[in-house]
Amino acid sequence: MTGKALSLNPTAWLERNRWVWAALGVLVLWAILSVTTGRFTLHSLSGVAVSASFLVIVALGQTLVVTTGRGNIDLSIASVMTLSAYASIVVTAGADAGLPLALLTVLGIGLVTGLVNALLVIVFRIPAIIATLATGYILATGTLVANRWAAGFGVSPLLKTLAAGRVEGVPVMLVIALLAVLAVGFLLQRTVYGRRLSAVGQNERAAALAGVNTGRIVACAFLASSTLAALAGMLLGAYVGGAFLEMGQPYLLQSLGAVVLGGSLIFGGSSTALGTLFGSLLLVLIVTTMQIAGLPPGTQDIVQGFVVIGVLALAGGRARGRRGAARAPIPAAGKVAQG
Amino acid sequence: MTAVFRTAQDAPAVAGASAHRLLDGSMTGDATGQMTPPAATAPQQDSPPVVRLAGIGKSFGPTRANHQVDLVVARGQVLGLVGGNGAGKSTLMRILCGVHRADEGTLAIDGVDIDPALFDTALAQAGGVRMVHQELSLCDNLSVAENFFLESPEAAGTRPFWRRVYRAQAKAALDAVFPDHGISVDAPVGHLQIGQRQMVEIARAVVAPRVRLIILDEPTSSLGPERSRQLRAFIRTQTARGISFIFISHKLQEVVDIADHVLVMRNGRSVWHGACADATVADLVQAMGGPTESAMRGRRAGRAAVAAGAPAIVRLSGALVAPLGHDLVLRAGEVVGLAGLEGSGQRDLLHRLHGRGDNDVRRTGTASFVSGDRQKEGVFPLWSVLSNIALGRLEGRRPLGIVSDRAERAAARAAAERLKLDPDRFDSPILDLSGGNQQKALVARALVGNAGTVLFDDPTRGVDVAAKEDFYTVIAEVARAGRLVVWHSTEDVEFLECDRVLVFSEGRIVRELAGAEITEPAIVDASFTRPGIDARPAGAAASGPAERLVELAPFASLAFVFAMMAWVNPLTVSMFGLELLLGPAIALVLVALAQMFVVGGSEIDLGVGAFAGLVNVVSATLLVDSPLLGVATLAFGVLAYGLIGATIQLRRIPAIVVTLGAAFIWIGIGYTLQPTPGGSSPPWLTAAFSWYLGEVPATLVLIAVAGLAALAIDRSPLGVVLRGFGNNAPAMTLGGWSPLRYAVIRYMIAGLFAVAAGLSLTAINTASDINAGAPFTLISVASVVMGGCALLGGLISPLGVVAGALTLALVGALLGALGVSSDYNAAVQGCLLLAMLMLRALADRRRPS
Repeated sequence: MTGKALSLNPTAWLERNRWVWAALGVLVLWAILSVTTGRFTLHSLSGVAVSASFLVIVALGQTLVVTTGRGNIDLSIASVMTLSAYASIVVTAGADAGLPLALLTVLGIGLVTGLVNALLVIVFRIPAIIATLATGYILATGTLVANRWAAGFGVSPLLKTLAAGRVEGVPVMLVIALLAVLAVGFLLQRTVYGRRLSAVGQNERAAALAGVNTGRIVACAFLASSTLAALAGMLLGAYVGGAFLEMGQPYLLQSLGAVVLGGSLIFGGSSTALGTLFGSLLLVLIVTTMQIAGLPPGTQDIVQGFVVIGVLALAGGRARGRRGAARAPIPAAGKVAQG
Repeated sequence: MTAVFRTAQDAPAVAGASAHRLLDGSMTGDATGQMTPPAATAPQQDSPPVVRLAGIGKSFGPTRANHQVDLVVARGQVLGLVGGNGAGKSTLMRILCGVHRADEGTLAIDGVDIDPALFDTALAQAGGVRMVHQELSLCDNLSVAENFFLESPEAAGTRPFWRRVYRAQAKAALDAVFPDHGISVDAPVGHLQIGQRQMVEIARAVVAPRVRLIILDEPTSSLGPERSRQLRAFIRTQTARGISFIFISHKLQEVVDIADHVLVMRNGRSVWHGACADATVADLVQAMGGPTESAMRGRRAGRAAVAAGAPAIVRLSGALVAPLGHDLVLRAGEVVGLAGLEGSGQRDLLHRLHGRGDNDVRRTGTASFVSGDRQKEGVFPLWSVLSNIALGRLEGRRPLGIVSDRAERAAARAAAERLKLDPDRFDSPILDLSGGNQQKALVARALVGNAGTVLFDDPTRGVDVAAKEDFYTVIAEVARAGRLVVWHSTEDVEFLECDRVLVFSEGRIVRELAGAEITEPAIVDASFTRPGIDARPAGAAASGPAERLVELAPFASLAFVFAMMAWVNPLTVSMFGLELLLGPAIALVLVALAQMFVVGGSEIDLGVGAFAGLVNVVSATLLVDSPLLGVATLAFGVLAYGLIGATIQLRRIPAIVVTLGAAFIWIGIGYTLQPTPGGSSPPWLTAAFSWYLGEVPATLVLIAVAGLAALAIDRSPLGVVLRGFGNNAPAMTLGGWSPLRYAVIRYMIAGLFAVAAGLSLTAINTASDINAGAPFTLISVASVVMGGCALLGGLISPLGVVAGALTLALVGALLGALGVSSDYNAAVQGCLLLAMLMLRALADRRRPS
């Protein structure tokens, strides 16, 4: 497939493989950092990679939700992450023996949240932003309660190894993230589900008329998103050695930022896992740069906000001509049919 | 010949050439005689024509929609414009209205040459050109009178009772065009029937001030014969006043009846132009090209008859076929047409056939759907032709099954060859294909699957003549292969291809025509049959009280929560209690009103809480230390809101992501200004929130003022325009309203309310915290929903939102009074919001049926 694509002209190839820009951004920023600071090495890049790994896992889920189109976004992931981190710490209480149960609990949090989100969006036709914003709030109350329960900060050693360990100098977490990228990439590019997901994201009405069960496709995306967020939250808790309120908060905008930077279309229908990987790396690299430069945390928020809006504003026009028709309101025909 | 020259004097070459072609073709002989002109038909020869288009050309990608078209309309003239689907009429008219820009050619209005590059909808309106579009362009959520306002806003001025003007205008216009119309000018357009909407739309265009040329695009598609006659009578009275018309219709009899001149288009070119007196319906049909009766009949005759024992696939029964008095069985191998006036229930049946079926509509086997509305219901715009076709093969496969490029290509190739679709184009993006080829790809998608039934929804819309022919052959072939074809068309002549035609009227099948019975007159005749049942029982009347109940819900829940509160703590009912409980809610009320205006445009502001928090910080720090800088910063904040609106509108990016990004910017700025909570309230600000009007504290008065201010904006002409955009932005844009300007205005209004919210936070808390505003985002959305606004936009209710915000504030206080930890506030608010939305969804679901 790549071979054929390459044989066409380079602009068409770039248009289809928009992740290249993010990859290029990572390289350039890294090169600049290496030259200017003189101490930015491959090792420090692997540090960045570890922080990015948590983001990658969350952002892959967000990618799937964004691909479903109509501006769908999962805003509940921040609370899911925080609650999962608390849950795994409370359940394991610092011992490996509790790990299976903790895993079950964390998966339960992810699956139930995803199911509720999907139910609200598909059955009750509530816009995804509102539905996930509300479930996020409800879970936030859960974290407040969990915060009072969580006595110590015991992390199971095995989980700690997964989240923070290295094998032969390679961070385990990075391997996990890369495996996730591979799996989601395969799902998007090569499977029946991936095709259907893209179809739903481009034109839901046409997909339904072409026999795609759109509800099931969208539901799976929401399930995957909250499950991945839950797992990322558990690992993040192990990595930082505890859980605290608001620990998931930065991942809300960053997961979206990673998707957008990675060249996935915000209106859905076209996403790549590779793009999300490089988008996450780029975003984390930007944050790291600001930290190295000694900018206060407030400025980091501002810059991230501008990056997301800026990239979108630049990319928005590209898909505009094509999306225009699909974005128009339901044709008069729909209304006619009832008359 | 001379007729062509005389009426289109300035474009001899092309018009002459096409007339030659026509003469060389089938109309030779008798046509020459007929076309010798009565020279006097063009009235007012000396005044310049109202519009003159010359050499117009327009391409959409590979499709040549218009090529070297000339068009002249004189004062007081009715020009009939005819041509099959896809002949380029709509494109030409859209160019004339400034919606599309011509690639080449010249344009003059009232004798003044206008640079086509500068011509837009506003200029067309200024030139007195009005169009009644085929897709209805009214705003459902606005009343008939308000829709009249959108067409001619000049008369509104700034007077307080501006609606009265338009109520009178609407009534007068409807009375003039359609006597005994029976339409209430205060009714929301969404409550009208399709024919009534068409009447409103026509009446609205004809009363527009300074109108000189009215383009009616299929004005009678949903009108009965009596209304159509009224319209034509009205057109005659208007032409006497010097107003010109372009009358586009499939109903050639009507065209011949009303038009002075006729322009016939085919495949984007004008193929005949002459005085109407010279043309008969048969001539026009001939000139339009496309399917002819005899060719279609011939093709049907060439098809094997449907075997009597062919398996039954669809059974229709119940109310749907009640006028027929018997059930209908559709069999494999049949081509069944669905006819009737547009919107009489044909599409509805197609969609029911595609769905799981119900008691009245039963189907065995699977069904695939091919829609003629390719943009909205057919193509996947980001995919290649191959991927678009191959989706049809996925039906019934496991989600984790692996797709193979090679297998898809082979299957698609087989289908494409039957359709004469070039397999070399498989890797092109689907949108690079012409309309006809896109449609072929969609049919190929249906063919690569194995569905026993193929449903076609007006598949030849916007397809050129040659592709149509291929298409008819394919339909025949699909049927011959043993599938059932159900075919809805808006061109009656296409039904001659069918084995059977079911004619709809008012949602019921009123006639079944088979074989030789299928003729155009028979179909038209049958479509005016009344099904004999009152198709609209109590529906319209019953919606009244139910809707009022929804409107009252926010106030009822406020009263209920207030009563609960009073029961828990009797002190609530005192003025002191009210001040204590409701006073702090003013910030929430203001944020909710800000959110309401954004929701009115069917968007959501995820940064409004953070922005209020930032204003809180700015007003407690900068505004205290250096008032000028503080005021400038706040003004800049409102401008930034306008900029957000502009970004969203210009770049067409989702408001959610932009406002979420903005939320981080607001918080970042807030942190930078003031890393830890603190600051103080400027004395004047504190004073502004701590006076009494008699017994009533300032906060309560200000809440009322805020609600009334929002109500005033909403009821003003500006508010109507904003709601119009929330409901039907494309129609507003067509009407010459600038989407950019109103997006900016909408966001700046929201920004102003959010600034007020932030200031009230400072005054009440007498300190600031950048995080103070964050929870407001969700609660503001909840208030808007509780207040009875539709999240899809266009329906807002300021007083309801105030009530909703107060209810939510009271719920928090109530929980506190009941001893529930404030930790649970967020969960309760979230659950309340979801419960409201779920109830609304359930109520909505019950309504349409």
